[in-house]
Amino acid sequence: MIELTTTRHNELIDPIVHVWGWEIPIYLFIGGWVAGMMILSGYFFMKGRGKEYHCVCYRIPLLALGLITLGMLALFLDLEHKFYVWRLYTTFAVKSPMSWGAWLLLLLYPTLFIIFLLQVPDWISTRWPILHSWSQKLRSVKAITKIVGMVNIVMGIILGTYTGILLSALGARPLWNSAILCILFLVSGLSTAAAMVHMIAKERAERELLARADNLFLFMELLVLALFFIGLLSSTNVQIQSAMLLLNGPYAAVFWVFVVLLGIVVPLFIQNLAVNHKIIHTPVSPIMVIIGGLILRFIIVSAGQFSHYANAHFIR
Amino acid sequence: MSSSQTSDPFTPKPYWNPYLSGIGLGLVLLAAFVIMGRGLGASGAFSSAVAFVVEKIAPSHAHSNSFYAEYLGDGSTNPLKDWLVFEVIGVFIGGFISGKLAHRVVRSVEKGPRISTRKRLFFAFVGGGLMAIGAKLARGCTSGQALTGGALLNFGSWAFMMSVFAGGYAMAYLVRRQWT
Amino acid sequence: MNAPWYKYGLFNDEISLVVAVLIGIGFGFFLERAGFGSGRKLAAQFYFTDMTVLKVMFTAIVTAMVGLYYLSVIGYVDLSLVYINPTYLLPQIVGGLILGVGFVVGGYCPGTSCVSAATGRYDGWVYLLGFVAGILFFGELFPLVEKFYVTTDMGKVTLPQLLNLPYGLMVFLVCAMAIGAFAAAEWGEKKMAAKNQGEIK
Repeated sequence: MIELTTTRHNELIDPIVHVWGWEIPIYLFIGGWVAGMMILSGYFFMKGRGKEYHCVCYRIPLLALGLITLGMLALFLDLEHKFYVWRLYTTFAVKSPMSWGAWLLLLLYPTLFIIFLLQVPDWISTRWPILHSWSQKLRSVKAITKIVGMVNIVMGIILGTYTGILLSALGARPLWNSAILCILFLVSGLSTAAAMVHMIAKERAERELLARADNLFLFMELLVLALFFIGLLSSTNVQIQSAMLLLNGPYAAVFWVFVVLLGIVVPLFIQNLAVNHKIIHTPVSPIMVIIGGLILRFIIVSAGQFSHYANAHFIR
Repeated sequence: MSSSQTSDPFTPKPYWNPYLSGIGLGLVLLAAFVIMGRGLGASGAFSSAVAFVVEKIAPSHAHSNSFYAEYLGDGSTNPLKDWLVFEVIGVFIGGFISGKLAHRVVRSVEKGPRISTRKRLFFAFVGGGLMAIGAKLARGCTSGQALTGGALLNFGSWAFMMSVFAGGYAMAYLVRRQWT
Repeated sequence: MNAPWYKYGLFNDEISLVVAVLIGIGFGFFLERAGFGSGRKLAAQFYFTDMTVLKVMFTAIVTAMVGLYYLSVIGYVDLSLVYINPTYLLPQIVGGLILGVGFVVGGYCPGTSCVSAATGRYDGWVYLLGFVAGILFFGELFPLVEKFYVTTDMGKVTLPQLLNLPYGLMVFLVCAMAIGAFAAAEWGEKKMAAKNQGEIK
């Protein structure tokens, strides 16, 4: 209890501002999702699975292109001065994560477009035959497929990590100011991507491989989440308080129930039985994983804005 | 693929012995008493959800109605952040997990052989509506009143439970074509 | 006295919601195990062909009742801190009758309909739709029934208080009644099975 309202405890001096609404978490989620998809499709190409006609890796790039555009749209909606967005591209500020992000997003398009060209879906190549011929040329050199796959993996890792760095670069928010956040978002991006991709995969073997991968990512996500909190809890009071926002405070119910239980533990349990042929596999668990990943971004962004250095008494 | 695939391994397993599942249910209820100091429930969760939506559409209308107002609270917290709402989320998951483990998750309609699907769904809707009115009038449903109140030896709950069976048996003959 | 834990402040409201989900998972799990995700099995209770509802319900009531009584006798649970719904006799009897009718028409009660919906039964989903519509109907017409809703207010009253019996004796009586009901149920099921067999022949 604060008996005496000193200047610093006056809410008007240190206001708790939620300047970020739904746009940023949506963008961070889609960014991580697409990053995971890029890593997965890149992996398939590197492993040479691209030779098989039905490989799901052919359907990821188009999906990723569409999704990242949606994510960029969300980011654009969040900008205060929408008509000056081009100014980001007149300069490159090494110390600004915003500048890095802007350029990174621009580089994503050619990366995704090339991997998309490796095998153009029929319904597109019949309309634009030129794409098909480009595709033939690219595939005539074997090394290109591997290199494109590798570039996609690298870009995916950068993008996935970047979505976390964007937040952890903001030192004023103790919850975000953790180096593990970028790993958390990368792993979460991978798990949601594996969930999505294995829903659209046609081949049984591929589906199972992806479901197994998803289980691994979910397990890693649990570990990274634990590390994230251990890091915060073994720090100063401010960090402890900010971790408590999720563990015990106003975000605890949503965090434990929708992120940990419904987003990770339950789907991991169901999916693990499914890949071991104990039960029939259904899209229920991947959908839970995707929703859990989305809620994770929302909760981290929202609780992060709530966490504060100057006023560690934010749990009122 | 494993070799045990010769006969379909995913046929629904039989239900548990009723006394065994009853003991399980009783222990869950006991856990609720010991941990929370309250029993189980279900209908209250849907009331919170309805009150939440009504408040979003017509705020003044919702607050002037004492039925909705009870579920909306003083406005300091979201009405959906309610114990029963979260418990019902758990019921869905627990039911799904149990059904999944026993291969009983099947898209189907529960009905007797003498009724069409459309009629059965109509009856399900009407039954749900009647049940809501009854449950709200009685301040609880089979879980909140009969099960919880029954175990707490609550007088009103026992009176309620007896009238539920009375109502059910009285009506059973009239809708027998639905089930038998 | 250490319990109920929540009332003794072992955890806050936020964590209580996490507990709610875990308890709900247990609740849903055992409801499904018992077969309460199937409307046909539930409705069979009212045609005496399958008395599972009665058996499960009374076993659960007896288990929880005896467990709670034991824990309060040894001084672990403070029974006065366990929430009891106040009794409004007339609305509860009328509500119970309507609910019983709705039960056999709809095939579920609210809790079991969640389980049936979760296991893919379309009638469970439609039932829930009807349930929500019914709440809305009741809520909108609530001002009309508000007077009736609060009649015969008896406060928080338990059977031992009402009948002026010791709590332990009441627990024993309910157990005895339950065992009698189980015996009757087993006997009735066999009788019905034999009768149905005869009809088929």
